[in-house]
Order: sequence, then C-alpha cells, then structure tokens
Amino acid sequence: MRAFGAVFISYYRQFVRDRGALFFTFIFPIMFILLFGWAFRNEGVQRFDIGLVDQGSPQSTTIITFTLDNVTLDSGDKLFRLESGPFDDMMRLLEDGSLDAIIVIPASMDNSLAQEQPTAIQIYYDPTRISNQQILVPILNQVVNGLNQYLQGTTPLITLDEETVQSRELRYIDYLVPGVLGMSLMFSGIYGGLPIIQQRQAHIIKRLGATPLRRSMLIFGDLAFRMILVLLTAALIILVGSLVFDVQMVGSWLGLCGMVILGSLVFTSLGYLLAAFVKTEEAAIPIINVVTMPMMFLSGTFFEITSMPSFIEPVIKILPLTYLNDALRQIMVDGTPVHSMTTDVAVLAAWAVVCLGITIRFFRWD
Amino acid sequence: MSVSSGKVIKVSNLVKSYGSIKAVDQISFEVAQGEVFGMLGPNGAGKTTTVEIVEGLRTADSGSATVLGIDVAKDTRAVKERIGIQPQSPALFPSLTVRETVRFFRSLYRKSLPTSRIVELASLEASRDVLFKNLSGGQQQRLSVALAFVNDPEIIFLDEPTTGLDPQARRAMWDVIETFRRAGKTVVLTTHYMEEAQRLCDRIAIMDYGKIIALDSPQRLIEFNIKESAIQFKMKDYPGDQVLAGLPDVSKVVREEDDIIVYTNNIPSAISGLLGMASQRSTDLSELSVRQATLEDVFLKLTGKRIRD
Repeated sequence: MRAFGAVFISYYRQFVRDRGALFFTFIFPIMFILLFGWAFRNEGVQRFDIGLVDQGSPQSTTIITFTLDNVTLDSGDKLFRLESGPFDDMMRLLEDGSLDAIIVIPASMDNSLAQEQPTAIQIYYDPTRISNQQILVPILNQVVNGLNQYLQGTTPLITLDEETVQSRELRYIDYLVPGVLGMSLMFSGIYGGLPIIQQRQAHIIKRLGATPLRRSMLIFGDLAFRMILVLLTAALIILVGSLVFDVQMVGSWLGLCGMVILGSLVFTSLGYLLAAFVKTEEAAIPIINVVTMPMMFLSGTFFEITSMPSFIEPVIKILPLTYLNDALRQIMVDGTPVHSMTTDVAVLAAWAVVCLGITIRFFRWD
Repeated sequence: MSVSSGKVIKVSNLVKSYGSIKAVDQISFEVAQGEVFGMLGPNGAGKTTTVEIVEGLRTADSGSATVLGIDVAKDTRAVKERIGIQPQSPALFPSLTVRETVRFFRSLYRKSLPTSRIVELASLEASRDVLFKNLSGGQQQRLSVALAFVNDPEIIFLDEPTTGLDPQARRAMWDVIETFRRAGKTVVLTTHYMEEAQRLCDRIAIMDYGKIIALDSPQRLIEFNIKESAIQFKMKDYPGDQVLAGLPDVSKVVREEDDIIVYTNNIPSAISGLLGMASQRSTDLSELSVRQATLEDVFLKLTGKRIRD
C-alpha cells in the first residue's frame, strides 16, 4: 500500500511538472469548447429545418414547397431545408430536435383552394426556442401572406394555425461539450501509454525491477491516477460548458462518472496496447497521431457525421469514440440512463477487453 | 536462512542463451561475506547478464543462484529486499527532485536509511531539491549509486559505479565502498577501471565469451599469469610478432592497436635486442617504457583485448 501511494504520488508530481501534459489535459479541450462554441453560437438562426406532411393535397404541397424553397437569406443561401414524410416520422424528428417545425397540409386543401374557400394549414414547433417564436413564425406568416396574395384576392385563403410541441433545445454547444469530453478521454487514455514507453526506453522500469516493487503496482498506480485525472477533466469541461454557454447536464451524475471511467479505461488500454508493440517514443508519437486525429473527426466529436462515403461507414461504426461520444451525449443531453445504452456499453467493454487481452499476451517490461 | 560457511552468494552452473549465443556458459562462483568481488571482462563477455541473474532481474536457463541462503529464482522479492543494486546507467524519473526520488525508493522497502543519509552519501545536499533531469551526469550517477544503499543492504551490486565521474568523485565513491565493506557487508563490482579493481577488490573474476577464465585476488592473478615485466613502445614498419618473439629473452608479444608490449624476465637483454633489431631495420622505437605487469596486462593476455568501452 505504501508502494502504491509512492507510485501514485510520483505520477502525480511528474504530471503537474509536465506542461505539455497539463496543456493537453486541461487547456486543449477548454479551448475547443470556447472556440467552437463562440464560432457557432448563432447556428440555428441561419437556417430552419422544416418537415412537410402532405395529407393528400399534392397541388398545394407543390406550391408551398416551391414557395418555401425559394425563400433565401441575404447571402443567397436558402432559409429552409425541407423534408417530407408521414406525420409520425416528422413528429419524431421534431421532438428530437432534428426539425425546427412541421407544416401539415390537410387533405381538403386542394379542393378548398379550387373553391376559393379558406383553409388552415397547421404548423408545429417548439415555442421555448426563442428563434422559433421570433423568427420562424413571423417568416412563415409572411410566406403564407405572400402565397395568399399570389392566389389572388384580399381574403386570405390560407391561415396559419400554430401548434406547439415541447422539444428539448439542442444547440450546437450541447452537441459539442460531450464530444469534447469524449475526445479528451481518448487523448489522455492513448497518450497514457507514452510514459510506460518512455520509462521502459530510459531503463527506469528496469531500475525499479531491482527493488521489491511489484510491477503491477506501476499499472495500478497509473490507472488510479488516470481515473482521478479524467474525472477532474470531465468536471472542468462540464463546468466551463455550464458557466460560459449554459450547457445543462441532464442525466445522472453517477452514470456520467461511470461512462467517463469506462471510456477512459477503453482508451487507456489502447495506450497500453500501443506500449506492448512500440518500443520507442519516437515511433509511438506518429502512430498516436495517425490513430487519434481521424478518430476525433470520424467519431463525430465536432460535427455529426451524416454523409460519409460508404466505405468509411464501417470504420465509423467500429471506432470506440463513436460509441463513447454517443453515450456521453445521451447521458448529458437526453438524460438516458446508462443501463438502456446496451450497444454503447457493450462495444466499449469489448474494446477494453480485447485490447487488454492482447496487451497481457504481448507486453514486455524490458 | 543460514548462510553456510560465510558464503553470501553461491552460483553454480549458470547458463543463459540468447538464440544461438551463450551469454552465460556454465558459470560457478561463490562470494564470501565482507568480500569485495570484482567482475572484469570485455563488453559482451556476460558480466552484466550473470550479475542480473544473481540479482533476480533475469532468469537463468539452467543452473542455480543463491543469495543470502535464498534461491533467487524462487523468492526474488525476499532477495531484493536485502540487496542493493546500481544498474549501469542512472535511470530515474526525470521530473522528481533528488529528495523525492530518495523518498520514493525508501517507500519501496520495509526498512530504509534516512533520506538525509542517502542525499549525503550522494554528496547532493546542495542539490536536494533539483529535478533529476537538471542534475549533471556525475550527480545523476552519484544519486543512482547512493540509492543502492537506501535499504541498508547486506550485499550491494555496483555496475560501473564510477563511470563518468571525475577523479575526485571517483575517490569519494571508493571511500563509500570501503566504508560499506568495513561494516562487514559484501560488494559485487563490475568495472572497466583496472586501477579501481586492483585497489578495491579482494578477488576478481575475469570473464570472456560467457565463461570465467580466471578467478583470484588481483595480486595473485598478476603473479600467476605474468611473471615478467612489460616493455611497451610504438614502432613504424612493424616487422611482425615472430621477429620480435625470436629476440633473446622475449617471452611473449602482444599488440594493442599501435602499442606493442613485450614481456621479459631480463629487461636489459630484451631492450638491447629490440634496439638492435630497430637500428638494423633503420626504424625507431618511440614512447618506450618499462613497467611491472598490471591487471591490465593480465586481462590483455587472457582475453587478447584491452578493457575499454
């Protein structure tokens, strides 16, 4: 126990004296949150995702689609991104925040228009989103007015019925913060293999082998220190997200801690796996870069990966960070309990088990 | 855990191979309590491998090593608790200070000397709060050696303890080793410095190609192997060993790069023969010196190599 304490404290001292490690552990993720958070703070006002539900009036739908599709911003970009489908599907997308509003075109509308009778189209949106109330609804009203005038006559044939749906407010920053947390767990875990490589390369491990210290203590001490470190990192990231951008952590704190530790274990075992096969620091660093950089982007740390060439998709589906990011987002944004994220937990656990298994088979202390 | 007949280290028929190379080939020796036991040999002779097996850092393919009555292969940790080891290169955590490093090592043992005592042994009182990586090479080396004493060991293994030290620090290190020996403790020392071996060691094992080729006190090694004196010189247009060996009273000729060493029991006769041969060939003998044979000569004679990095 004394030896464990000594190993732990020596790792702690070396960490706090290593400016590079301090920077990458604490400053780097915060930098990402601040930079991306500010750069994209207005994201969402620029464009609206609209779901169109045609209940049986193809003509009217065509007219409305055409009209909405031609509303542009000063920049020339389209204001609306349109998607159409059955009401239930659209409603689900609205509820999970993928759509900003749904417009429902009733089955009777074609007839009503033909007979110049007033018809109401319905719009569903989330009123708690300020941009919806202040921007989307007025714009849609204008669009409807324009349409009415176009359809001649002063009596408005189309009116807008507002229906509100409570959906969670998913801003970009809400998406970003769990992603940055996942990313920093990945970096600190994989880079965690480096001290072992350095100490082995510098014969420090051999020197310690001359003492009664059990080598497993080096691993336990390292793991214990790393777990405390990642929990601190997570706390810092969540604190900054909350103070600066008012990011809410919706789910269970215990579940989040568990997921942070599981994620850190996965990437730490990847770091150990690296140490089992790579003998020198000089060889390890490029390998770390080749592994971490693409994984950071492909796993949807900063942006949702929606349209990737099909050959990349299996890669994305196998990367552990994809599942860690997803799990962290589900906990922080949706408040999903950990026990219902079976796939994420299973894939992450599988990664940890496989990496540790191979490491135990091939790792050499000298 | 009785130590029979005062032998604290017993090694018998040790074998260790790396692929087809026999690094250690059927080695046996014993070290008595209170002895300073030296191991000499060219690089790759198997000294370090042998010592590391005895320390429990490596396992032998066959044979056995007993330290303080404990079979090293069976209870390595019990052995490590009671011995001190200084490996060849000073490898310690770069970002810990001298005192932190000493405290770290102290906490790895059941019993230990006070931190200040180890810092003093390393003569690093003034640098005790300096990070290891900011110490000079000599300071790092001194700390590394001093750490071998941290658990107040009964046997200490020093691998090249004075390499990289200036003459003054080297002498201070010798004092430390001699004090340790006077306390009735045992030292196993590998070194490249003949002067160091000759001065410190009670007995020396000379190793080459994984075998011990000679084992005795330094004085007897010299007396048994080389009864002659040595005449050393340089010569242009070297005529070959056979010409020199044919001169009167020359018993052996050894060459080491530019240096020619001739061994003889009759110095005047051998020198006049050499000078005559030189003038006959219109060449000069330069840097000529006559001296008593040393351990270095023994080493050269037995291994055909000069000890050097």
